[in-house]
Amino acid sequence: MIATLLFTAFVVFMFLGVPIGAALGLAGAAAIALANQDAQWFGLLAVPQNFYAGLGKYPLLAIPMFVLVGSIFDRSGVALRLVNFAVAIVGRGPGMLPLVAISVAMFMGGISGSGPATAAAVGGVMIAAMSRAGYPAAFSASVVAAASSTDILIPPSIAFIVYSVLVSGASVPALFAAGMFPGVLAGLALIIPAVWLSRRHRMGQNESSEPRPPFWRSLREASWGLLAPVVILGGMRMGWFTPTEAAVVAVFYGLFVGMVVHRTIGLRDLYEILREAGELSAVILIVVSLAGIFAFSLSTLGVIDPVTNAIVHSGLGEWGVMGCILVLLLIMGMFLDGISIMLIFVPLMMPILRHYQWDVVWFGTILVLCIAIGQFTPPMAVNLMVSSKIAQVRMESTTRWVLWMVLAMTLATLLVVAFPQISLWLPAKLGY
Amino acid sequence: MSSEPTDEPQHTHRRTPDGEPRSLRFDDACIVVTMALLALITFANVLVRYFTDASFAWTEEISVFLMIVLAMVGGSAAVARDTHIRIEFFAESGSAARRRRLAQLGAMLVALLFAFIAVISVRMVWDDWRYEETSPGIGVPQWWYSIWLPLLSALISARAIGLYRRRSRQSDAQYLARDEERAP
Repeated sequence: MIATLLFTAFVVFMFLGVPIGAALGLAGAAAIALANQDAQWFGLLAVPQNFYAGLGKYPLLAIPMFVLVGSIFDRSGVALRLVNFAVAIVGRGPGMLPLVAISVAMFMGGISGSGPATAAAVGGVMIAAMSRAGYPAAFSASVVAAASSTDILIPPSIAFIVYSVLVSGASVPALFAAGMFPGVLAGLALIIPAVWLSRRHRMGQNESSEPRPPFWRSLREASWGLLAPVVILGGMRMGWFTPTEAAVVAVFYGLFVGMVVHRTIGLRDLYEILREAGELSAVILIVVSLAGIFAFSLSTLGVIDPVTNAIVHSGLGEWGVMGCILVLLLIMGMFLDGISIMLIFVPLMMPILRHYQWDVVWFGTILVLCIAIGQFTPPMAVNLMVSSKIAQVRMESTTRWVLWMVLAMTLATLLVVAFPQISLWLPAKLGY
Repeated sequence: MSSEPTDEPQHTHRRTPDGEPRSLRFDDACIVVTMALLALITFANVLVRYFTDASFAWTEEISVFLMIVLAMVGGSAAVARDTHIRIEFFAESGSAARRRRLAQLGAMLVALLFAFIAVISVRMVWDDWRYEETSPGIGVPQWWYSIWLPLLSALISARAIGLYRRRSRQSDAQYLARDEERAP
C-alpha cells in the first residue's frame, strides 16, 4: 500500500515536470512518515541523515572533477584539431565526415566522461563542417548525438562512477575497463548506418572539393589532444592515480593545453567554466543525494523482496527476465536521464542479479549501454538536445535519421548481452 | 594553428530570458571558489604524495565537506535558473495557463522539500552539538560541518520561492515563446 503510494507519487510528480530530485525526495519522505507513524517525529530524522550521508562519500568527488574535465576540453580547441587530423587520415569523400565525427566523438570519450559535453565539443566543430559539405543539419545533429553517447561507455565515464557508488563489488577501474570494448563496438555499429545513409541519400556531394589538411602538420597540432587519454587512462592503469586524481590531472592538463598551447581559454572563460561545471555537478549530486532518501524508504518498506520474488517466479526464465529489463530500460531511457534511471533501477535490480548470479560489472555495462541509447532517443534525449541546438533544427526533424542509429546501437547492446566476454575480457586480462 | 580559424566552436552562453536575480552572483562566486578549491586540494594531494612522504589524507574530510557545499550552493543556483533535471515533455506543452500552473507546482514542491529538510536537520545539528560529536578525520566538532545543511537548505528553499514568484509573474507570451526558443 505504502509502496504503491511511493511509486505513484513519484511517477505523477515526475510527469508533471517537478524536478526529479524533488519528486524522489518528497515521495521518499512521505513513505517514511507513513511507515513510522508511532515513531518519534515519524522517523523523519532519517531524511536529512540520508541526504547528508548520500552526499558525503569521497568516491563521488570524481563526478565534479570529470564534469570539469568535460567543460574544459569542450573549449580547449582539441576537438577541432582532432577532426583535422582525422580528415587528413581518411581523406575527403562521400560519407567520410560522418565517419570522422563518430571517430572523434569516441576519442573524446577517452578524455571526458559525459555525453552532452562531448556533443557540444564535437558538434561545435563538425555540424558546421558537415553542412558546408552538403549534409542536412538534422542528419549531422543525429550523428553527433549518437556518437557522443559512446562517451559514457568509453572510459572515463561519470555513469560508471555513479554505478560503482551504488553497487558494492563493482570497482571503478573494473567498470572502466569493461566499458572499453562495448563502447568501441557501439561506435563501430553507428558508423554503418551513418555511412550507408549518407551514400544512399547522396549527402555530402561537396565534400570532395573541400581541401585535405596536410598530414604531418595536423598530427603535430592534434598531438596534445592525442596524448590526453594516454595521460588519463595510462595513469590510472599504471596505478599512478585513483580515478578522482586522474580527473584532476586531466583538468590541469586541459587547462594547460587550452590556455597556453591552443590559447582558446582566457581567464574570463575560466570563471564561466568553473561556474558551469559546478552547477552541472550540483544538479547530478543533488539527484544522487535525494535518491538516497528514496532508496532508504524502499529498503525500510521491504518492497524489494516481494517484487524480486514475483519476477523470479514469473516463469519467464533468465533470458525472458533479461529481455524485459532491456525493454524497460530502453523505454525509461526515452523519458528519464541516466543518473535517475540508475538510482531508481539499481537498488531494485540487485536481488535479481544475485538470484541469477549475473556479473555486476557486466550488468553495469548493459545498463550504461541502454542509458547511452536513451541519451539520443527522443523525446527526452540530452545529447540530441545539445546537437539540435547547435545545428538549429527541431529535435523532431532528426527522428527519421536517429532511429537508424538507435537500431544499430540496440543491436550492439544485444551482442554484449549474448557475449558477456566482450565486456568482461579486458577487466579480467588487466586483473581487476 | 588551423587553416580555418572560423571553425573554432562558437559558445553561445546561456542566459535565462526571465531576468535572473542579481543576488545569484553570490551563489556563482561560491560555486567557482568551491570548485577551484576542490581541484586544487585534490591536485595538491597527488603532488604531495609523489614528492614527499607526508600524508595528506586528512584533506579528504575537507574535500567531502566542500563537495556538499558545492552540491547545495550549485543546487540553489540551478533552482533559480530552473536547470534541474526534469521531464519537460508535458510541462512545456499546452496552453500558457497550464505551463504556468505546472511551473508553479514544481517550484512550490522544491521549496517545500528543502524547507522541510532545513527545519528537521536543525535537530540533527542540535544532536551533534549536544553530544559533542567530533568528525572522524580531523577531530573538529561535527556541527561545524552539519550546521550548513539547514542554512543552505533554507537558501535553496528561498531560491525556489523566488522562482515561484517569477514564474507567476511571467506573461503568457513568455511561456509560449519557449517553443520558438527550442526550435529556431
